[in-house]
Amino acid sequence: MAARTVSLSLQQKMFVTLLAITAVLVLLSWFILHRTVAPAFEELELSAAHTNLVRVQRAIHEDLDQLSSVVGDWAPWDDAYAFVQGRYPGFVKSNLDRPTLANLDLDLLVIYDLGRNMLWGQVIRDGVLSDPGALGVFEPGTPVLDRLLSHDTLDSRVEGLLGTALGPMLISSQPIITSSKEGPIAGTMIMAQFFDEERLQAISARTEVAVDWFAAGGASPLEPALQAGIAAAGPESVRYVAGEETVDAYSALNDLAGEPLMILRASTPTDTSALGARAVKGALLSLSVAGVVVALVMWWLLRRIIARPLQHLANHITGIRRSGDLTVRLNDSRRDEIGALAGEFDGLARDLHDARRQLLEQSFKAGKADTAAEVLHNIRNAMTPLINGLDRVSRSFRSAGSLRVRQAIDELGNPECPPERRTKLLEYLASAFGHLQAASEDAQENVDVASRQAHQVEAILTDQERFANVAPVMENLHLDEVVEEAALVLPERDEGRVRLNLQRELGRYRVRAHRVGLSQVLGNLILNAYEAIQRTDSTNGSIEVLADLEQQDDRAMVRVTVRDSGCGFTNDICQRIFQRGFTSKQPSEFAGLGLHWCANSLAAMGGRIRAESTGPGSGASFHVLLPAA
Amino acid sequence: MNMTEHEQGIRILIADDDDTILDCYRKAFGDQEQTDYMKALDSLEAELFEAVEASAAAPRFSVTACSQGREAIDLAARAADEGRPFDVVILDVRMPPGIDGVEAGTQIRKLDPKVEIVFVTGFSDIPRDELERRVPPPLKLHYFNKPLSFMRLAEDVAGMVRQTAA
Repeated sequence: MAARTVSLSLQQKMFVTLLAITAVLVLLSWFILHRTVAPAFEELELSAAHTNLVRVQRAIHEDLDQLSSVVGDWAPWDDAYAFVQGRYPGFVKSNLDRPTLANLDLDLLVIYDLGRNMLWGQVIRDGVLSDPGALGVFEPGTPVLDRLLSHDTLDSRVEGLLGTALGPMLISSQPIITSSKEGPIAGTMIMAQFFDEERLQAISARTEVAVDWFAAGGASPLEPALQAGIAAAGPESVRYVAGEETVDAYSALNDLAGEPLMILRASTPTDTSALGARAVKGALLSLSVAGVVVALVMWWLLRRIIARPLQHLANHITGIRRSGDLTVRLNDSRRDEIGALAGEFDGLARDLHDARRQLLEQSFKAGKADTAAEVLHNIRNAMTPLINGLDRVSRSFRSAGSLRVRQAIDELGNPECPPERRTKLLEYLASAFGHLQAASEDAQENVDVASRQAHQVEAILTDQERFANVAPVMENLHLDEVVEEAALVLPERDEGRVRLNLQRELGRYRVRAHRVGLSQVLGNLILNAYEAIQRTDSTNGSIEVLADLEQQDDRAMVRVTVRDSGCGFTNDICQRIFQRGFTSKQPSEFAGLGLHWCANSLAAMGGRIRAESTGPGSGASFHVLLPAA
Repeated sequence: MNMTEHEQGIRILIADDDDTILDCYRKAFGDQEQTDYMKALDSLEAELFEAVEASAAAPRFSVTACSQGREAIDLAARAADEGRPFDVVILDVRMPPGIDGVEAGTQIRKLDPKVEIVFVTGFSDIPRDELERRVPPPLKLHYFNKPLSFMRLAEDVAGMVRQTAA
């Protein structure tokens, strides 16, 4: 199976996920802040705009009150009372000169008698004195004049805004009565101030609100719809228009007749919403920074706690899959779930390793058993006619040997043999000859059968040799494991008498060999060593298994030495010890697989074996050379 | 099917998928001409030299041979129906491509509880107790490994029949 490619590593996925979570968090925060905090600041700003507009309106009313207060000083005055009654003609000259009007900050002063006759009036516009008629509102019989002159009570007061031909004015009208505020009402005194740019600036300076006004009808820089809407809504209604730099609060101002006269605009800088926007931006920035920092910290922690151990585990599993070496262990000492997983995987690999080894052994043995059974069956079948043929030949010749041919011939040579017996003897000899002839023919036939069957046996054996040439499965093996497995052949009861010393460094060596074959070879050598010790009188024998590296033809080889303190052998035996059929054992002893087989098996693995002994009684060493893995 | 049948003697049914081995069986159990010839020679020798007739006591066999287990069952069934059951059935264990000898023996045992059943095989992978379980009773079950002398087997078969008759 092809290795599965990893398009995005776990660490990268975690990083991207955390980054995405941070981005979503920031976006969500931005949405919430814009939906809650920013509108709150905007409402605050609108509230400020409303307050500013109200302050301006109040300032206008204060100016009106101030104006009415001046009128209230002048109208209830005996001199003025006398003037309108015609009793004090010098009143105007004495009191109504231009500096007085200027001191009173008046732009208009008009005095009417009860007969609605203007006794005196003067308007000052841009420093120029004019007749009040220039204002276009003091024509007799106009509703505005009627309204200004209608005073029923002594404390009557008419005040408000008035649109004139020269511009809107703050105007106040009160009845002229005596200084002791007694009647009857003798006339009306009207005072007014132009609601001009200068006054607007004064209000603006007083209220600290940027303010201006527009005509309620006619030409205006305002949008016509906005202008009409505000005018129609009346003075109680406020309309807000938010701009880039200011929030403008609009409200209508009606004249004395209650008709829309002008539109007042109080502009409030958008400092509050700008502050809110800065607060939102600051909050978002801090959230973003905090989110990124948290994400980075979490990524680092997850990488350290989860991703790296998992990566280590994945690399370990991939390594095992590629090398097939199930003896490598993680040995993770962590006490968390990943540590437990690593422990379980180590256990699984160990079990799998054991199972594979057992399976290999079983497969090897089962294969050998099946093959052996099949070969035995075929050979036994082939041997059956061979044995029966030979059996028949044997019986035929044995029965032929028991014939009394010689006795019959001797009797026939005797002249005294009666003719009847001679006839019988001749008949017997003829029958015996016939029997011998038949036995000979039968023997020939049976020998032919035996020969055929012998060839069949040979063919079966030749056939098996083809399978014997199949190369064994080679693996990279840890030498210590194979040696420990092979050492199991030693009888447990003799462990005290024969010590088995395995070199501690065996685990450092790895060889490329057929596991079961090598195990059987080493088991055979160890068993031979054990039996060689048994043949001595020693009660303290030892078998050592050592290993070291050897370089042969530029190839690294591992040399495994099985050394014993047994009976040893002569140089002559050493020369023949790996020959086919050679054994130093008694016929009654179990001969095992034999050193000839061991040599052949090692040769099939690319290795070889040699033996050495300094002579009988001095022990022996067998050196196995195998390619290093 | 290669079949030979004699009218007299111990009735034997033999099943083996190897023709060469069947031929050996026939020679060991059924060379009647040779037997008769040997009996005449023995008789003449006894008359001339007052010797004991060696072949006088030799058993006579009536051999029926086949090469498959199914044929063996059919032959045994037919013989039982005709009232002339076989005394001994000799079966090879492995007889491809048909049923094996053990299955054939199991079926034949159901047909004839008295028949002596002999298994002769080159395989040694069927335990004795497994055979006894499938083809009871143990006293009428015999097991031999190839290779073996069929002449000796013939003597053993004759012994089985004599023991049954006694």
